Amino acid sequence: MVVETVTGRFASQSFLGSDSDATFDGTTVGVVGLSGGGSHVVQQLAHLGVGHFAVVDHDRIEAKNLNRLVGATAEDVAVNRLKTEIAERVIRGVNPQAHVVARATRWQAAMQDLRECDVLFGCVDSYKERAQLERFARRFLIPYIDLGMDIHPAGAGFSMSGQVVLSSPGGPCLWCLGILTEARLAEEAKNYDGAGSRPQVVWPNGVLASLGIGLFVQLVCPWHEASQLTACCEFDGNRHRVETSRMEYADELCCRHFAADEVGDQFFTRPE
Amino acid sequence: MSIVFRARADLLARVRSDLHRPHSFAAERVGFIVCRAGRLVQGGLVITAADYDPVADEDYLDNPKVGATMGPAAIRKALQRAYNGGVADLGMFHVHMHGHRGMPGFSPVDHRESRRFVPDFFNIAPHVPHGAIVLSRDQAFGLCWTTQDAEPVEIDRFARVGAPLRLWWWKR
Repeated sequence: MVVETVTGRFASQSFLGSDSDATFDGTTVGVVGLSGGGSHVVQQLAHLGVGHFAVVDHDRIEAKNLNRLVGATAEDVAVNRLKTEIAERVIRGVNPQAHVVARATRWQAAMQDLRECDVLFGCVDSYKERAQLERFARRFLIPYIDLGMDIHPAGAGFSMSGQVVLSSPGGPCLWCLGILTEARLAEEAKNYDGAGSRPQVVWPNGVLASLGIGLFVQLVCPWHEASQLTACCEFDGNRHRVETSRMEYADELCCRHFAADEVGDQFFTRPE
Repeated sequence: MSIVFRARADLLARVRSDLHRPHSFAAERVGFIVCRAGRLVQGGLVITAADYDPVADEDYLDNPKVGATMGPAAIRKALQRAYNGGVADLGMFHVHMHGHRGMPGFSPVDHRESRRFVPDFFNIAPHVPHGAIVLSRDQAFGLCWTTQDAEPVEIDRFARVGAPLRLWWWKR
């Protein structure tokens, strides 16, 4: 096992539990979207000692990604490398024994790999995809950690904001928390053709990814007694603050969007 | 081939609470976790727990030789539950509980009895997996049948989906 071959590597995080090394090593984590947010997430998961990954992104790196895709190099841009290859290299650079399933495809084509994940990170751009990913995670009883960031013109400058949501089966969902709304989906659909390139920078992605990793660790290897099933951390990048105001009433919310028995593959059949 | 079993923490708590109740003559209780499934790579399966059906008090048979014996009514109700019109049939996982901590295991009686009745579910719901699970106070062990004629295989990984998330690996 990894723990035996890198003795002492995890000594500084032993407060996460006497068996935390083995727990991380045995946990399978899926990361969908390997650009700004996802690249930070896989890097930190590898440092934690997570032993099994399913990383999914259909895209190749371009010069415009180099401002925020951690682990990427100018050479990667020169050869137009797959983002999955960069993620796998980052993971293996930290943890050579890690088991990495890398799928350079749309996540919808990698569902059989993602179903096996114990926790799923969604680092995708659109509300539509986030809605689909959360629905997928709920059906297969997978806690889902959603990262979202937005920079848009506001007044004479720009507004930078984002949020990280831990959406677990049985708890409030992205719809309950008001992250997903019909109006947002409709607006996104209306602007689909004219969206163009959206502003993205490295540091808010790093903040949001770190918050997401914290939520992952408190779920898998809690270091305190207040482990949370649901969390929503809202990042105000202009004020450099993280708030949790959407969570004020979350404990009272009974999710009406996903029924407890709506699980598994609706069209499951045994292969012939 | 990997087989993963996931259940929400609140559902598992409901199962444990029911199985913990004393019965007037049976030494232990049993029930069925109602499941759906999804396919994984290389023929693997993820089993997702949807609900729990306890065996009713009156559906036990008085058999002092074993902890609990289900009567025909209990089996009939479980078979009826599995059948969902053949479109989205339900997997039925028989469940009982041992009172210790750590990884539980099947007794020879558990093995014998589960092999006797679990394959019958394929007569009603042939396209979904069925099985048998034993819980300890903090872990679980289980066998999964993927077809009526196949030998059952161990469930590799259990996940108790709650806060905290708990994972138990078989053969680790």
